[in-house]
Amino acid sequence: MSDQRHKPVPVIDELTRPFWEAAREGRLMVQRCGACGYYNHPPRSFCDVCLSRQLAFSQLSGRGTVYSFTVMHQRDVAGFEEDAPFVNIVVELEEQPRLLMVANLPGSNRETVRVGALVEVYFDNRGDGVVIPQFKLVSA
Amino acid sequence: MWSGKGRTAIVGIGYSEITRRPQKPLGLLAVDACRAAIDDAGLEAPQIDGLATYPEMPFAGAGNRDGEDVVSVMYIVNHLALAPDIRWYAQIETGMIASPIIEAVHALIAGACDYVLVWRALHRPTRRPGGGGGTGPRAAGEAQFMAPWGCSTIIQWHALAWQRYMYRFGATREALAALALNSRRNANLNPRAFFYKEPMSRDDYFNSRWIAEPLCLYDCDVPVDGCVALILTRAEHARDLRHPPAYVAGYGQNTAPRRTLLHYALDDYIECGGSLARKLWTSAGLGPREMDAAELYDGFNPSTLYWLEAAGFCKEGEGGSFVQGGRIALEGELPLNTFGGSLSEGRMHGMGHIAEAVRQVTGRAEERQIPGAEAVCAIDGSPMLRGSGIIVTKAP
Repeated sequence: MSDQRHKPVPVIDELTRPFWEAAREGRLMVQRCGACGYYNHPPRSFCDVCLSRQLAFSQLSGRGTVYSFTVMHQRDVAGFEEDAPFVNIVVELEEQPRLLMVANLPGSNRETVRVGALVEVYFDNRGDGVVIPQFKLVSA
Repeated sequence: MWSGKGRTAIVGIGYSEITRRPQKPLGLLAVDACRAAIDDAGLEAPQIDGLATYPEMPFAGAGNRDGEDVVSVMYIVNHLALAPDIRWYAQIETGMIASPIIEAVHALIAGACDYVLVWRALHRPTRRPGGGGGTGPRAAGEAQFMAPWGCSTIIQWHALAWQRYMYRFGATREALAALALNSRRNANLNPRAFFYKEPMSRDDYFNSRWIAEPLCLYDCDVPVDGCVALILTRAEHARDLRHPPAYVAGYGQNTAPRRTLLHYALDDYIECGGSLARKLWTSAGLGPREMDAAELYDGFNPSTLYWLEAAGFCKEGEGGSFVQGGRIALEGELPLNTFGGSLSEGRMHGMGHIAEAVRQVTGRAEERQIPGAEAVCAIDGSPMLRGSGIIVTKAP
């Protein structure tokens, strides 16, 4: 990835603050329902499954698999114009089916990435207090 | 079966120019299309007493100036000399293109009005300074979980879904090539199509540039300015107009799955699209085998494949082989996107699909005519997000 300063920055709100603060501390935390155990991501003000408001943030292992991936060639994405072609993956986290997060892989992974590949979280400090979870390929 | 089957009909079609270099603003293109539709029906503008549209912008943040970026009900009220008192109107914000048509059908059956004008005007947005698709430099709301990684445009979401589809079912790009080539052949017979005069070869398809891999340029619709308009009325009025009526036999709309981070996570497409298809077939008392052609939305090429499966034209995962070997050609078993689709006619968000279904069952499909076409369905949207569809028939 080239110049990090022009990447879109998250506008942190009440609901999402714990996710971003945890990232700054190097932890992957996702909102979880205290009543039914469902992980809600993005965070919500009540559980999407059981409507409970007993929600708290819970730490994940940071391991998952590649649910899908794409290589964006069009210089058409805000903040990523100079990066094209760049790789996006969607990670399915091991804690729950369809608990998904997006991430980037380096261009050098373009030919090797496959759906189902194992990935692991790391944290990318973009400066100005913005730390974003990223994922990298790991061997089994 | 639905009690409204055959009680209303589409009786007029109007197109503006469909172009990437518009000589006039969108509002005037919409006026052109609306006037053409009224004339095609053999009506006079003051007879139009109902209006409906779906004015959504092509993507969030594309601008919403009335008459420039969108064309609202009030814009048409103020710029066409219609009935002095419009008796009914609707401006739909959910569903998709067939949704305002479905509302018009309800209004006609309820006796709220007699002649409804429905249109969809689409503007090709210009790129914003400092970045095109997605959000700007600050990502608020749910975009904060997509935009910081640059995963914020619709084509990337479609590319992710298609990659997942290929993984699940072992499909290849040959399926998308078959769809794109079929659409281009049909567009070459459609004088309104953006690609009317440009054939495409298999090599052209495979040599085209990537947009969001594994989707290439020719897997995307053609962004254009233009408007398509339709006229609807009740069956008793429909019989005496200029052209034969296309009766509305049935309809359906999607219910969406529980949201995940991705709008287009593939795994829901059968369940979600099936929620539309069950209503579509049940309301009309018809099934996929009875369709003489299918006009299935292709804002991005894979959507057509997903609809083929979700609507029951073939089994889950078999769309890729279904579209090969000539089955979907004009002379095949299931002629598909017979007018060229959004891929080759231009991005009219599904209105072109509905207009073509009308042309086919009324014998007005020019060189593309399917002999003896009695029933054709048009479905818009993407099955895993939202959509709407109708069936039109030659007989009430």
